[in-house]
Amino acid sequence: MATPAEIGAFVEKIVTAMGLTLHAEVEEMPDGLRINLTGEDGSILIRHQGEALGALQHVVGSVFRQDVDERRRLVVDCQGYRKAKDAELKQMATFLAEKARNSGLAQEIGPLNPYERRIVHLAVGEVDRVSSESIGDAFEKTVIISVK
Amino acid sequence: MADLKGLVEAVAKALADEPHAVRVSETERRGMTVIELQVAPGDLGRVIGRQGRTAAAVRTLLAAAAEGEGKRATLDIRDAAGR
Repeated sequence: MATPAEIGAFVEKIVTAMGLTLHAEVEEMPDGLRINLTGEDGSILIRHQGEALGALQHVVGSVFRQDVDERRRLVVDCQGYRKAKDAELKQMATFLAEKARNSGLAQEIGPLNPYERRIVHLAVGEVDRVSSESIGDAFEKTVIISVK
Repeated sequence: MADLKGLVEAVAKALADEPHAVRVSETERRGMTVIELQVAPGDLGRVIGRQGRTAAAVRTLLAAAAEGEGKRATLDIRDAAGR
């Protein structure tokens, strides 16, 4: 079993090998662990829509999957980039859910990866009388938000 | 300074059930850094990942690290038999 400190140390080891000067802060969240990287080289992880940050999260998730409870999440962030992006996505999902409820018309968002879809499903779940469903069979799927 | 070989080695050893079987070498081919990763046959699946997603993620990290040095790098994955 890996401790939060060990997970943070692994993340730091990887970014150091990438030649980046970053510090990993591990934060316990109600639904899992959030590892936030801070430092001057953060832009390397964030550029191209957070491509390298997404790759890092995938690798860290693959390594520690067995160590972390099913329902607990491992989120790797860099200077709060993901946090801000996730908040924006949640806001958009809530807006579309309300639009679907008020207009009766189904709304579409995506394509989104599994991590992003989870954010949308949770946000839609908080709005009355609407439901969401993922369609497609690829890794990235579109989410349809419609009136129940 | 990025340590491309160390990067791949750290990720592969963390993923593998047989970390002692992990071998990483670095060569130059036509101006490109080629990192060759060898793992035990049983560990290939974990290193490559579903639909090659883990291998793709490692390549992305490798490319980002190499970019910082003004280099280009690729990853070759083989099993212990060299295939």
